[in-house]
Order: sequence, then structure tokens, then C-alpha cells
Amino acid sequence: MNILMGLFHILVFPGLLFVCIIGLLLAGVDRKVLARMQKRVGPPLIQPFYDFLKLMGKETIVPHAANKTVFLAAPVIGFASLVVTMLFIPVFGYSAFSGSGDLIVILYLLTIPAVALIVGGSASGSPYAGIGISREMVTMMSYEFPLIMVLLAIAKKAGGAKLLFSLTDIVAWQQANGSGIFHVALIPAALALLLIIPAEVGTQPFDVAEAETEICEGPLIEYSGAPLAMFKLNTAMKMFVMTSLFTCLFFGGIDTGIVAVNALILVAICIALTILCMTLIHAVTARLKIEHLFKFYWTFVAGLALCSLILVWIGL
Amino acid sequence: MFKKMIADSMSKSPWIYHVNTGSCNGCDIELVAVLTPRYDAERFGFKLAGTPRHADIVVVSGPITTQSKERLLRTLEQVPEPRCIVTLGSCPQSGNVFKGSYSVEAPIEKFVHVDVAIAGCTPKPEAVIEGLYKAARILKEKREAMKK
Amino acid sequence: MNYVHFPVLAVMLLFLTAFLIVIFGRLSSVLRNALALIGSAGAFAMIVYLIKPVMIDGEIISYWMGNWEPVAGYAIGIGYEIDQLGLFFALLVVSTILLSCIYSFKYMEKDSSLEFYYVLFLMMSGAVLGLVLTGDVFNMFIMIEIMTFSAVGLTAFRNNRWGAVEAAFKYLIIGTIGSSLILFGIAMLYADCHTLNMAQLSSILSGNINPASLMAFAMMLTGLGIKSFIVPFHAPAADAYTAAPSSISMVFSGMVNKAGVYGIIRLVYIIFRAMDIRQLQYLLAAFGAVTMFIGVTMALAQHDFKRLLAFHSISQIGYVITAVSLGTALGLTGGLFHAMNHTLFKGLLFLCAGAVLKETGTTNLDKLGGLSKKMPKTTICFLIGAFSISGIPPFNGFASKWLIYQAAFSKAVETGNFFFVIITVCAVVVSVMTLASFIKVTQAVFFGQLPEKFENVKEAPFLMRLPMWIMAICCVLSGVFYGFVDKYLVGPAAGAALGVSHYIDTMMGSGYAAAAGVTDIKAAPAQFSYWDPIIWLVLFVIVLAAVCFVMVTGKGDRGRISVSGKAAEDGKYATFFSGEKSLPSHVSGSDLFWGFKKDWKKYFAVIEDLHSGVVNDYALWAVAASALIIVVLFGFVR
Repeated sequence: MNILMGLFHILVFPGLLFVCIIGLLLAGVDRKVLARMQKRVGPPLIQPFYDFLKLMGKETIVPHAANKTVFLAAPVIGFASLVVTMLFIPVFGYSAFSGSGDLIVILYLLTIPAVALIVGGSASGSPYAGIGISREMVTMMSYEFPLIMVLLAIAKKAGGAKLLFSLTDIVAWQQANGSGIFHVALIPAALALLLIIPAEVGTQPFDVAEAETEICEGPLIEYSGAPLAMFKLNTAMKMFVMTSLFTCLFFGGIDTGIVAVNALILVAICIALTILCMTLIHAVTARLKIEHLFKFYWTFVAGLALCSLILVWIGL
Repeated sequence: MFKKMIADSMSKSPWIYHVNTGSCNGCDIELVAVLTPRYDAERFGFKLAGTPRHADIVVVSGPITTQSKERLLRTLEQVPEPRCIVTLGSCPQSGNVFKGSYSVEAPIEKFVHVDVAIAGCTPKPEAVIEGLYKAARILKEKREAMKK
Repeated sequence: MNYVHFPVLAVMLLFLTAFLIVIFGRLSSVLRNALALIGSAGAFAMIVYLIKPVMIDGEIISYWMGNWEPVAGYAIGIGYEIDQLGLFFALLVVSTILLSCIYSFKYMEKDSSLEFYYVLFLMMSGAVLGLVLTGDVFNMFIMIEIMTFSAVGLTAFRNNRWGAVEAAFKYLIIGTIGSSLILFGIAMLYADCHTLNMAQLSSILSGNINPASLMAFAMMLTGLGIKSFIVPFHAPAADAYTAAPSSISMVFSGMVNKAGVYGIIRLVYIIFRAMDIRQLQYLLAAFGAVTMFIGVTMALAQHDFKRLLAFHSISQIGYVITAVSLGTALGLTGGLFHAMNHTLFKGLLFLCAGAVLKETGTTNLDKLGGLSKKMPKTTICFLIGAFSISGIPPFNGFASKWLIYQAAFSKAVETGNFFFVIITVCAVVVSVMTLASFIKVTQAVFFGQLPEKFENVKEAPFLMRLPMWIMAICCVLSGVFYGFVDKYLVGPAAGAALGVSHYIDTMMGSGYAAAAGVTDIKAAPAQFSYWDPIIWLVLFVIVLAAVCFVMVTGKGDRGRISVSGKAAEDGKYATFFSGEKSLPSHVSGSDLFWGFKKDWKKYFAVIEDLHSGVVNDYALWAVAASALIIVVLFGFVR
């Protein structure tokens, strides 16, 4: 029974199927709302599902310059690690594998999909991909610096004078003391994390790594068919994982006690966050240059995060 | 199980790669116009892809200059199956006003099979959408034929 | 079997085989290699045998040379004392020696006068092993001297290559400054305490550090800092690691700079027991943070594979020093674990660099490329090493780095000190930059396009791949089963560094420590929470299996996978070049990270100016840093 329950957690909720479907749904919402913002009708809400299925049906070409094994394995590894990451993020009070979610571990687990993208792109042997992975890596360097400060601020706020990195405990703390977003000291951190999400996911204006107009989709250039579908799915899933991490850290106080209702609330918050931090920013800005992106994160966003960290430190 | 779903999706998310083989830019602008809010081809799932590897439909505009012929063929080769080739405007079909020039290889059908030809100099966006939509349906047929 | 003699025998065996090779090494290469193998394997076997009594049963082995036991509470003779801390480092040393020795057979086959290579190699090995096993400060100094001079000789071994002699010269100068400082410190200590035995020194110095011993402490700390190449003293390390043969670079980063780290831990935690002094914690943590930051940024700017690895060695030592400086059980555990992991993955990476150098003849990141098609096994080893060092879960680098973050941040929240938050943030950022520079190597050396002149490159021979595989497997295992590693290796070592009275009692007779008023620091058990790599791995495998299942069952439905044949001529499989005929074009090392480099241009200009390559400057830095340490210790500690 336990094994069946575990498998259910892994494969259906909150694991594989749930993450895939909600992720693709979020991507669909993103495209639809973006279209509405531009006074277009826009694609149907389930357009990402069509894209995914179509790509699954297409031929996969492994270029001559590529290292076949790594080229084909990279998207699958990125996918699996994203699903597992999601298992460690508690859905409000409910976590599938309790006691295994940890702030720093999540930070590092989230790097695996990015590394998979980089290594896969690198293995394709294209010079465009070379430029793409360079930009992807710089993007990563830019957002990790503010991200760690955001996480430390939350850890200090929730933990007080003892070390507290466990996500479950942070959620428990929020349920006792109100959601993170209602604490003045954490508001700059929330803003910083909102700005980090689009870079982590790679949506405009922070999609320098996959700029299709300049470097032909960067690391993805040589991918086609099923592996490409995997990478597109990874991007969509990252939207969900990042927004639900945000929910977990800043809206953890909400808990109705019923898992299904909680899941619905989670999805609702994730959709709102997607619209707020991805669609809106996408609609009103143009793509940054890589050096501007780096500067933006290491000055403005890092400043917000540092501000929050200091506020928390002086006890606010 | 997924066979039908995949075949259906084939016609619902065609990604376009655009090759300009010496066009005067008229058709190219109209193709861009198709994606603007006014005509919004994204309703049907059309999207411009950055690389032929991602493309389902290759849109060729221009009269195939001698310089660009080789490059066009190379690009077409790199598109994964199933794929459609759509010509935009009269140039790729006949050479249009450039016909007879020493540097134009006009009828594209000398080298590759064309699935849909959108005529006009330049074609109206409505015509372009119609043509692309046809191509998308051909994609589905090709996919079904492939898997028999 | 009486294992009490094993430590001394292991050291003697290494020296003995060194001398035998001097005499018989010229006769035949087989005999020479056999002697080297006997020496290193023998030492390995003897030290590994000690795991059972020392690590598991918690025994501390003491051995008095010539049976000169202490008289009236004064240690006159030279004593070897093997506690868990010493054995932990000894294990690192012997495994490095053995693997490096196996690797050398094939790797060095094209060099001449190899008997000198093995002599120096075994001398250095014996010296480092003696250093970590000895219980006598002056004996330690002698071992450091032997180690330094054989290391200098080995650095200059390939003296036909550019830079080898220069690097050896720099190493010699800076190393000599370090040795002199250590000797000076030992002399003051001897004048002050009238003994050279570590256990006795510890009981005398416990709680009553006077100006003279503080001065000695400052001198020895600086000297050992030079031996472990922390930042103002790091310049010769970069040159030496680059110029030395790769098997030796591995030994340098695997055990020679670990010897310095060991010395610092032994000095600070056991001899002076000074880890409660807060200013010392700040000083060491600051040195560690600066070391890791400058190391990694310099590595990002490098164009040579081995030089990049050398700067990473420096950077990782920064992690170890930072963790050790925290003075908590968790920090010490993280630091020692990271030291062990560093030995594994950095050794692995240096061996990969060696394999590339041997097969292609260059380590220039701008000239290599696409080797993964020619050397697939080396590539896998390299990727494991690279992921380990950049702390990707579930490899071992992640486990230890994560302990270090936990230690630093818990120190911060417990003391309420913002300084340690900065240290934590710095450590995480450095980790990302480490990943960046290894992505650079991955792209520049193993992936991307293969330059035409490397068409005929072959895979490294089996004898070279064997040590690489062993270390790669160790990297994965110690990352996944880190609870096990902590229980049997790292935990006892950390406990030994904190609980010193058992160490003193074993050496000087029971009750000695209590009489001198030595009390143990309470070692709170290091906590490992919320990260269980096994659960992660199981979940990962299940998800992977599910994906593969869908992929395989849906084989008829999904599109086929087309792979190009041998001939590269088919246009379909050519790299996309916007329609142009694909040309061999490779994005090499120095083309990467453009935006980052632009934003940091001023920083890189300053930092590259500081690394002038002039040995006078480096000597000046060393002196300035030692002055700084002395000023800080005298100004704030007293």
C-alpha cells in the first residue's frame, strides 16, 4: 500500500503528471494572456499541449558534430530532476516526501535542469549553441546571487536564532505567524524573487540565452522532435516549479486542510504569479543584452534582496 | 494510443521557418503582417521558429537567385520529417519580373516538391493565412501517411 | 598482527623504495616501476589496515622512536601519534600516492630519466605521510622541508617545457619563506615551552598563551598558510600545478596543499586550542573567503586547462579553510569532508587534463574542442569530476558544500553576526562561478566541434583510465552515501580535532591532560537534515524509468531518431549555419561569458595586474600577509 501510495505521489500528484499538465497549462495561460494584452485573439489555452504532442511526432535529427548520448540524454535528465524537485516542495501543509525539502537543496536541484540544457546544447556542437550556453551560464550567475540572499532572508526570519532551512518548517512557521508576504521585512525579498522567476524560467526580457532572432534559439538550435519537446516541457514545468516555490515561501500561511482545495488554490496562485511576473513583463519590455541583464541582477535585484536580508537581521 | 492525438496536433501547431531567396521584401513584410494583432495567425498555433530544425513549414519567398539556391536546398534538407514547403508570392513559382535573368533559377519545383503555392505579388495576408492553413492540413496527412 | 608499527613502516617503506630506486632504478624500467608500486601499494595497505582500530574502535596509536618514552612528564624522543585526524589525512595521502603511481606508468612513459621522477615522487609521498602521522613539531618541520624540495624538483621535472623552471623557482622562493617562518615559530615555541611534542605542547599552552607563543603561533600559521597556498601566497601554486606533469599536479592538489591544511587544523585546534578566539575565526574565515573568491575569478579568466584547475584548487582550499575556521563541529565536518572530496574530484580532473595533454599535446582551451567523440570515457570521468566540484547533487561536492553553507549560516544566526552571512553568500556565488568555469572547459575541450588536426586522437590507455574510474566512482559513492562516510571517516576525524584530552593522555600517560587542566570542547553532533541523496536518487530513477517506459512503448507513435552515419557529407546532419556550408567553427574557452567579463572588466584588470608573475611581488605579498596576521593577532586577540 505504501509503495502504491508512493508511486501515486511520484507519478500523479504532486509528481509527474500534475507538474506536466499544470506546467503546460501555465505556458498556455502565458501565451493566451500575452495575446490578449496585445489585442490579439491568441492561441487556444491548450496550445502548449498541441506543441508538445506535435514535437513528439516529429523526426529527431542527431547532427554529425553532436555527441549522441549526451545530446539525447540531457533533456530527459533535466525533466526527471525537475519532477523530483517538485516532489520536495510542499503544497501548503502537504508534502509528499516530508523532511526532504530544504532551501539550499532546492536551490541546487534547480540548477540541474539549467545544467542539462547547457550540457545538451554544448554537446550539439553548433557555434550558435556555444554562444547560447555562454549566455545561459551568465544568466545563471546573475540570478543565483540575489536568490541565495532571498532564501537566507527567509530562513533567518522563520528560524530566528537557530538554523532553519527546511521548507516544511518554513511553511509551518507561516501558518503560525501569517504568510511571508505579510511581513514587512520580506516584501523586498518577494519582489526580488518575482524578478528572479522570469530569468530562471527564461522568458522575455531575460531569454537572452534562447534569443531566436539573434542566435537561433541558442542551446536548442540543433534539437528537433522528442528531445526538443522535452526541453519545451521543461521550460513550462519550470514556470510551475518556480511559482509554487514562491507560493510555498510567501503564501505558505494559507491552508484549508483539504488537499484538493489546496491544490486548486496553489494552481490559482501560480496562474496569478505567472501573469504578474512573466506575461506582464514580457508584454511591456524588450529583450535585454546579456551584460545589462547581469548588471540588473547584481545591482537592482541583489539590492532588494540585501535590503530584505538586512531588515530581517535587525529584527524587523 | 497517441497516434491520433499526435496527428491532430500536427495541424494545430505548425511552426514556420522563413527563407528569403532574394525577395524584394514585399512578401516578407506580408508574412510578418500575418503575425501582427490584426491578422493574428497565432490563433491557429502558427509560430516563427528560429532554426529549420524546429520547423514544420518552410516558407520560401523570392526568385531563388543562383547564390541562394545552394543555401536554400541545404536549409530544406535540415528540416525534420514531416515537413511542408510553401512558396510565398509569384517569384519562387515563375520568377515573376526577374524571369530570364542570368542569376535567377526561378521555378523552385525544379529542385524540390512544393506543397502549397501562394500566388500574388504580393499575396494578401488573408491569402497567406489560407495557404499556411492548407499546409498545416497537409502536414497532418503526411504524418498519417508516414505511420501506416 | 601488531599494527602499532605500521605507520612508521609505511613512511619508511616509501623512503626505502625511493633509495632503492636511486641505486637500482637505472637497471631496468620494469624493476623501477615495480619498486615504486611496491612502495605506494605497501604504504596504502598498511594505512588502510589502520582504519579498523583507529577509525572504528577509536583507538589512538602512539609510537616512540627507539622507545624513548617520556620521562617525568617530559617528552624527549620523537613520537608518532596517529589519531583519527591524522589517519584521515593519511588515507587521503596514500590513496593519492597509489593512484598517481599507477597513472604515472603510462603517462610518463615518453619522458627520460624517470628514475629521478620516481625517487622524488616517493620522497615527497613519504614526507607528506610522515607529516600527517608525526606527533612532533620539529619532525613535522623536517617533513615539510623534504616535501617542499622534492615538490620543487618535480615541478621542474619537464624542464624542456615552457615555464617549468620558472615555476619551480617561484615555488622554491615562496616555499622557503614559509619554511623559515615555521622554523622560527618552532624555535620560539621550544624556547618557551621546552618541548617539541604536540601533545605536551597542547597541555602546556592550553589556556595560557603568552606573547612569545602567540608570536610563534602567528609565524607557524603564516608558514602553514603558505604551504596550503591560501590567497596572498597562492601565486606559485598556479604556476607549479600547470608546469608539473599531471600525475604530480594531482599529488600537489590532492595531498601537498592538504598537508598545509592539516597543519593549520593541527596547529589551531590541537596545539594551541585557539579556535574559541573570535578574532582568529574572523581572520581565518576572511582569508578563506578571499581565497575562494580570488581563486575562482582567476580561474574564469584562464586559457589553459591545467592552470584553470590550479586556480580551482586554490579556491576549494578556501572553502576548507572557511569551514574549519568556524570552530564548530559542523564546520569542521564540512571542511574535512570537503578536503577529502577535493582530493577525489580535483585529482580526477587533473588526470583528465593529463589524458588530454598526452593524447593531443596541448591543454590550451582555445585550441582544443570536440574531444568527446574521440575520448568518450575520459569525457564521462571529466563530467563526473566537473559536476562534483561545482556541487551538483547528488555528487560529493554538493554534500560537503552544503554542510559548509549550513555551518556558516548556523554560525551566523547563532552569533547574530552578519559577517558569516557574507561568507555564506560568498560561498554560494563562488560555487556558481565554479560551475561556470567548468562549463567553459566542457564546451572548450570536450564538446563543440573537433578541430581537424585532432581527427586521429585516441582514447587514453587503460592504465591511465583505471585511476580515473576509481576516483569517479568514489565521487559518486561518497556523495550518495555521505552519511556512511561521515560516520566512519569524517566524523571521527572532526571529533579528534575537538576532543584533545584523549590525544594527550595516549601520548603522555593517562591523567596527564586532566592534571594540566585540559578540557575537551563539546562536540555537538553534526546534523544532516533534509537532504537524503538516496531518496532523491530513487525518485529520480523512478521518474526516469517512467519516461523511458513511455518512450519505448510509444515507439511506433513518436518520430524516429535519425543518426548520421560515418560520412559527414550528408547535408541533413550538418550543423546549421544559416544555410551556409558548415565550416569547422568552435566556440572556444575565451569566447565564453562575454557579458560577465564586460561587466567585471575593471575587477579583472586589477586582479590580473596583481598576478604580475614577478617573484619579488609574490614574496612581498607573503611578507605583508604575515605582518597582517601578526598585527591582527597581537592587536585584537590580546
